[in-house]
This record gives sequence, C-alpha cells and structure tokens, in this order.
Amino acid sequence: MNLKKGNNIFKYLAVISFLLLFSLLDLSLGSVSIPLREIIASLTGGEAPDYVKAIIIEKRVPELITALLAGIALSVCGLQMQTLFRNPLADPYVLGISSGSGLGVSLLIMGYSSFGLSLSGTLLTNLGVAAAAWIGAAGVTIVILLVAQRLRENVTLLVFGIMLGSALSAVITLLQYLSSSSSLKSYVMWTMGSLTGLDNNELWIMATLILSGIVISVLNIKDLNIMLMGDNYAKSLGINLVNVRKRILISATLLAGAVTAFCGPIGFIGIAVPHISRMIFKNSDHKVLMPATALTGATTMVFADTLSQLPGQLLTLPVNTVSALIGVPVIILIIFKNRNI
Amino acid sequence: MNHLLELESLVIGYKKQIYPEINATVNKGEVIALIGPNGIGKSTLLKSICGIQKFRKGSVLVMNKKLSEYREGELASVTAYLPSQSPRTKHLSLFDMVSTGCYRRSDWLGRISNREKQLVVSTLSKVGLSELSHRDSSQLSDGEFQRAAIARSLVQESSLILMDEPTAFLDIENKIIVSRLLKEISSEGKSIIFSTHDLQHASKICSKFWIMGYQGFIEGTPEVLKEKRAFEKIFKDSSIIFDDRLFTFV
Repeated sequence: MNLKKGNNIFKYLAVISFLLLFSLLDLSLGSVSIPLREIIASLTGGEAPDYVKAIIIEKRVPELITALLAGIALSVCGLQMQTLFRNPLADPYVLGISSGSGLGVSLLIMGYSSFGLSLSGTLLTNLGVAAAAWIGAAGVTIVILLVAQRLRENVTLLVFGIMLGSALSAVITLLQYLSSSSSLKSYVMWTMGSLTGLDNNELWIMATLILSGIVISVLNIKDLNIMLMGDNYAKSLGINLVNVRKRILISATLLAGAVTAFCGPIGFIGIAVPHISRMIFKNSDHKVLMPATALTGATTMVFADTLSQLPGQLLTLPVNTVSALIGVPVIILIIFKNRNI
Repeated sequence: MNHLLELESLVIGYKKQIYPEINATVNKGEVIALIGPNGIGKSTLLKSICGIQKFRKGSVLVMNKKLSEYREGELASVTAYLPSQSPRTKHLSLFDMVSTGCYRRSDWLGRISNREKQLVVSTLSKVGLSELSHRDSSQLSDGEFQRAAIARSLVQESSLILMDEPTAFLDIENKIIVSRLLKEISSEGKSIIFSTHDLQHASKICSKFWIMGYQGFIEGTPEVLKEKRAFEKIFKDSSIIFDDRLFTFV
C-alpha cells in the first residue's frame, strides 16, 4: 500500500465537514426541534423567539462544547495510551484513572450513607462531584507515576494499572453494597455519563484542564513516533523512557481526569476513535494522527450526543449507551482484523 | 592508540548470572562478528555498549570517553543500535520509518530538514529500497524490512553500529544482500559489531570475531582464532566439532 501524503488535507476537511454537520444537528435536536434558520439567528444575534435563544445559548451550546472537549480529550488520551503500551485495546482508563475517579465520587455520594450518615447538599453539586472525581484520578496517577519510575517495561505498568483499577472497583462495589438506594442511584447515574448541565465556570475549568493536557500531548508527538519502534530502539536514540512515560501519564490524567470529573466515565470513545482515525487517514505518524484523532474524536462525540437526542421529547439516552453502540463494532473489527498499532 | 571502542575488564549480566570478563577494542572501519551460544549475553553486551543496559563492572569507552561521561542522548550520535526484532507499525511509510533515525537532529515536533530528507532518500537508494519509499513499512518482506532497519541506523550518522542478529530471519539471497551492505558501510569508515550464529557467513565479512564462550571471551581474526582452536571452546557439548574447511560446526 502506498502512503502518499497529498490527500491528508482533503481528509481533514471531510472530517471537519462532518463535525459541522453533526454540530448543527446536535443543536437542532432535542426535546424541542429547532430549525437551522433559528439556530443561526440565535448564534448571530438575529431574530428568533426568546425561548429558542435561551435553549440554544444556555443549554445546547454548552452541551455541544462539552461534547467537543470530551471527544478531543478522550481520543487523544486513548491514542497516547495505545502507543505507549503498543496495545490496540488500551484506552484512557486502562491505568485505573476512571476507577480512581469512581472511588472519589462513590466516597462522596455513597461513603456517608454507607456509614449511616447524611451528606449536606452543598457538596453534591456538579463541582463537588467533579472535585471528588478529580482527586480520585490524581491519586491514582500519583501511585502509577511512583510505580512507573521503578519499572523497566511498559507492559508491567499496564498489568499494574489494570490490577489497581480492579482493586479500586472492588472498593466501589463494597460501597455500593453498603449504601442507601438513593445514593446508589445517584452514583449509577454518574457512571452512565452525561454531557449536560455544566455552567460556564465548570466549562472553563474543564477546557483549561483539557487544553493543558493537549499541549503536553503535542509535545509528546516526537517521542510517541519513536515509541512505535519499540522500547530498546527508543532508548538507543537517547530517549529517557521514564520521563516520556511520566509526560504521557500526566497528560492522560489532565485529559481523561477532566472528562470523568465533569461528564462521568464515558467509555469506548478513547479506544475506538484512534482506530477510526487510522482507518480514515492511513497514517501512524502522530504529527498527522494526533490532530486527526482530535477532530475525529470531537466528531464522534458530537455524533453520539446527537444520537442520544433522537428519542426527542421522550427522553435523552445516557451518553455511555450511545458511545458503546458506536465503539463496540469498531473494537470487534479490530479484534477480527488483528490490527497492529 | 586511540580506539573507537574499548571494553576494559567489562562484566555484563544480571544479578544471578555473571558473564566472563571482557577486554576488547574496535577501530574505525572494522566489522566485528559476535558469536556465542544462546543465553551467553551477546544481546546484553550490545545493549551495554550503547547504554541501553547497565553493566556490572569495568568500563566502556566510546571515542576515549566513558559512557557515564556522555550527556543524555549524546551517545546516540556515536552509536546506533539495531534490535534483533523491530516491531512493525501499520500505516507508517518506509520513508517515515527511516526518518526516525534523524531523531536527534529533528525539531521539537520530529520534523526533519531538507538536508536530512535528502540523506534519507540517498540512504534508501544505498540499501536498494528507494522505489518503496512511500510503501507501508509493515508490508515489507523480512529482507526489505531488515534493510530498512539498517538504513534507519545509517541516517543516525553514528560511527559505530551495533546489530543484534541482523540476518537471523533472512533467506540466503537477503543474507548476501545484507552482507554486501555491511561491507560497503565499513568501507566508508563506519565500524560494525553484529551478533550472529552463522559462522560461515560472518567469516566472509568480518575483520575480527568476538567469541563469548563458557570458558571466557576471546577476540581475534578468523585465521588466528582457527589456529588457536578457539571456536571449539564455544559450546559445553564436546561432541560439537568445528570444521576448519567448512568454517562451521558439525
């Protein structure tokens, strides 16, 4: 197969076109269907009914931005994890980041009721949950970083991460067993993922964390390309693998940690999108693949959000259900095609 | 005399397994064939020389400078390493694969200058792969892929190239192509140390053998080592005999 670089720009433009299309659909669909003319009027300050402007500006645009950010963050994080571990099934949560977040949130939501105490309402805000999730994710990352410093092989780190995640999940299961039914429901709702309900402050915090993670990811591009060739070759070029690992883990925490904190543990996007990008762009060079993955991730997440709005007035589907419906066929395809990184 | 590489009382190996002490030198343009039974530490020695793996005792001097005196990454401009098996990456062009050898001279994003691009093009031509430049490197044949890996170590522009079994998975034709290539590289002043189990093939291209055997480390030209009957001391099994005429074990 010839891999000429000329048509990458065309592919980027095609993905951007789909992103714009799905974004407009996402803004249009929901409990109230809004025509394109009124969407544009609301965004540009033109003539549109006040309730339409309110829905677009206060609800759907923040939700769209959340979807864009989450899609970019999870996909870029997944790509780095797949390259770091040279494993097509690695995802942003493979090192237990989501389990760490889950433990933080479950301690907040269910911890008190497990011990027969009641929790004051102020802590159970979006920001309170986000902070708990963030602390959990950061805690796991600190443990992983400490271990990563001592390990020679990336695969050992992978096994450690999976084991740590399983251990944390066991603690969460115990808390679920001990908690009250209302706390349990709150926690289960969080695990289903949601792109709705973030206010401007929360969006800014999420965007800042994700932007920081993206900056580090871009700085990782040069080393990620070498890591495709194996650890020993990378070391022979003078690359300090421990430092590269640390940089990847820090960016992964910023990216996946931010999404999990504000939207819950959204699955399948981080594992499937890097493969979708590889299929479209047919290029493993991270200089091409990372921006491609970010764009494809944003498009896929917005598409998932659009699908979740399809039932219309009846209900909005949990985002994790839709992301699984998109991601699972891709993962099955990877297994059947035995796709290498 | 100033050697390109000097190993002084070098002891390599892991905690429980210690290999014999090694004293050896490599000069400019020399091709060294490293031979010895499986598990004796050939790969470990190569990795120790290029700083991938720590050694236990002694010293490794590259261009009269101890490895520990090199700054991080500096050694890569003097030594290049070719692993015994490099992973293949789908959708990575041959050109991009070989370009990674220019890592230390590329910019923060890994982009290379026009001079480096020209170097990659001319090196691909040297190894006979210029027509496959845009081909997916994962789809190359074993022989083509090994030549690509050699091209990758050449664009690193280092004086010493360490190759771990570069002909292990190749058919006769590709073995001969790679051998010619190694000779050509050494004639340009680069030094090569390659590990192999194929004595016949190695004897045709190497200027010296390094023998790692259970009774110790010996270095010398094929003729001298033959006279010393050094090859017969490689294996534990005394029934394995070295045939002088065929230059192989029978």
